[in-house]
Amino acid sequence: MKLNNKILISNSLLSLFMLVVTGLGTYYVVNTTIYDELDFHLLQHKADIQQQLMEDPNSLDEIKRLGGLGSYEWVEISDFDQSITLHSNNFSTIDTVRYANVSELPESYRKLTTTLSVGGSHYLLEIYEEVAAWEKISMTVMLSVLAALFIWVILLYVVNQYAFGRILSPFYDTVDRLEHISSPNELGEPFPEPNTYEIRVLNNALNTMLTQIKSSFDDQRKFIQNASHELLTPLSIIRQKAEKLISDSEQLDPSSLERLHEIQQTAVRLTRLSNALLLISRVENKQYEMSDEIDITQIVEQVLKELADFTEIKEITIETEYSRQAVIKGNKELIHSAVYNIIQNAIKFSPDGGKIWITIAENGSGQIVLFVKDEGPGIPEDLIDQVFERFRKGDKLSGHGSSSPGLGLSIVKSICELHGCEYKAVNNPDKGVSFSLIF
Amino acid sequence: MRALVVEDEVLLNEELEELLLEEHFTVDTSLDFDQTEDLLLGEQYDLVLLDLSLPGGDGLDLLKLIKKQRKTSDDTAVIILTARGELEDRVQGLELGSDDYLSKPFAMPELRARIHAVLRRKFKIDDNEINIEGVSIHLDQTEVSYKNDFLDLTDTEYKMLRYLFLNKNKTVTRIALSEHVWGNKIDDRFSLDFINSHMKNIRRKLSDAGAPDLIDTVYGVGYKVKAHEA
Repeated sequence: MKLNNKILISNSLLSLFMLVVTGLGTYYVVNTTIYDELDFHLLQHKADIQQQLMEDPNSLDEIKRLGGLGSYEWVEISDFDQSITLHSNNFSTIDTVRYANVSELPESYRKLTTTLSVGGSHYLLEIYEEVAAWEKISMTVMLSVLAALFIWVILLYVVNQYAFGRILSPFYDTVDRLEHISSPNELGEPFPEPNTYEIRVLNNALNTMLTQIKSSFDDQRKFIQNASHELLTPLSIIRQKAEKLISDSEQLDPSSLERLHEIQQTAVRLTRLSNALLLISRVENKQYEMSDEIDITQIVEQVLKELADFTEIKEITIETEYSRQAVIKGNKELIHSAVYNIIQNAIKFSPDGGKIWITIAENGSGQIVLFVKDEGPGIPEDLIDQVFERFRKGDKLSGHGSSSPGLGLSIVKSICELHGCEYKAVNNPDKGVSFSLIF
Repeated sequence: MRALVVEDEVLLNEELEELLLEEHFTVDTSLDFDQTEDLLLGEQYDLVLLDLSLPGGDGLDLLKLIKKQRKTSDDTAVIILTARGELEDRVQGLELGSDDYLSKPFAMPELRARIHAVLRRKFKIDDNEINIEGVSIHLDQTEVSYKNDFLDLTDTEYKMLRYLFLNKNKTVTRIALSEHVWGNKIDDRFSLDFINSHMKNIRRKLSDAGAPDLIDTVYGVGYKVKAHEA
């Protein structure tokens, strides 16, 4: 979950909690106040009646008569029946229908049940007072508090979203940039220095780190390039010395000849290896012109012609299908080399009399795809993700890698990365491997 | 035979490559100094067509590099091609060991003739045709004949046989043959078997024509064409 959403949600939850607590709290407080007030009022009333009866004990009947008439507030006086303790005040809230002809709905009343003493005799006094009116007030208070709080929560959410978006935007810029860094070659501009302290610290740290990574990466590539370059001379000397000796084979016994041949072969292979590394590091160091207009179809045809010797002897059928004119911009020599490696690979692992399908077509998103499918043994599933890696571990074990140091596909990879195209290797469901380059 | 074309002008580079392909060379091309240097260090060429003015360095330095390598290897024939027509340059180039010199612009037939001449010198032959025990091979046409009967060889077979003829009485390793036919991009562990198959075909075609068995197999190493001194 994104950081600002997290903050937003926790804020909103807190606000909602506050809203509920405050709403309920307000309601409770208002209600309590109202009941206190009502009870006070009822006691007052009782005191008034008592007062009046003290002054004039004969007015009891009139009080009974008049007291029973009120609709919001009325009094009932009856003989004391021992149902309550003498002189105690008992409050309760009851729901009752006062006038069935006016409304069937019961209304809420506060009732004080107490005793009256008139001239030595006791009466049961019940005073009722309507609560409904008061309840409406408390309801209104609660609702307005809730409404205010609700508006506040909404406002908080909107403002938060905007404000967090603003405050966190440099942070998100950084995250976004980091997500898009695919290799130390493509660092682009350094991270900016925003005025938020933490993000500035973060960006500066990232800048330092990435610069260090890039420079050590550059150093490493330069080293590989220089080392491969420097190896070429001694290797060619070894090779040529061996060849010189071999060419006069008459002078040598067979076992020395064979040893010399091994020396020569090893020297040749090391030279190839150095050349491949040199090519890869030159590609990675971007030392190639990228301005050629390249017709992929033409390249494929040219490569097939160059490799015709091998397809003929292995009696491999090549089926080509070019459904689209495929011209891209880049370096012709490199693209040729990538295509050459892929097709050579397919031929190398095809069984005699096998078939290779080469297709140039357009995929769903309008990109040109070169598709090479063979009928070879395929690549073990656990290695298929690493076939494009340099000196991968499985080389010694896998059928596909056992015959070379496996730099051919690494060359393909680096060339593809330079040209911004994708590369993929997939085992076919029946047999063989499909390689695709997506330009 | 392997040739390297060093020329920064793309169109001319392609044209030269074409010419050499017609001459049945296996051709590498280079457009700049650094690339040429790496190629020269790693590969063995029979012929280098060298433009002196290159991006990234002076062609004369490349010439020095080739010459330094000659101490250890067989001669690489160098023909300098340049717009620098001045006498001094020409002299310096030749002094440094180039085999010939052509000023731009030049006609392709002239270059072709000079390539032949340079190669004759390199392989110490007098003619564009090498004849060993009745089998004769033409250096500039894909033609192999035995006693006036033409043999039907494929391009690859021709290249292999020609290379063995040019290096007569020397053992040529299979790896060297593979490089001469297919260049350095081919995976050698893969291509060596193919050299055997092609060689089998060449032998069969020669014996079908009634020619003597000229090609010795140097077991596990390569091949050799024996030519008895006449």
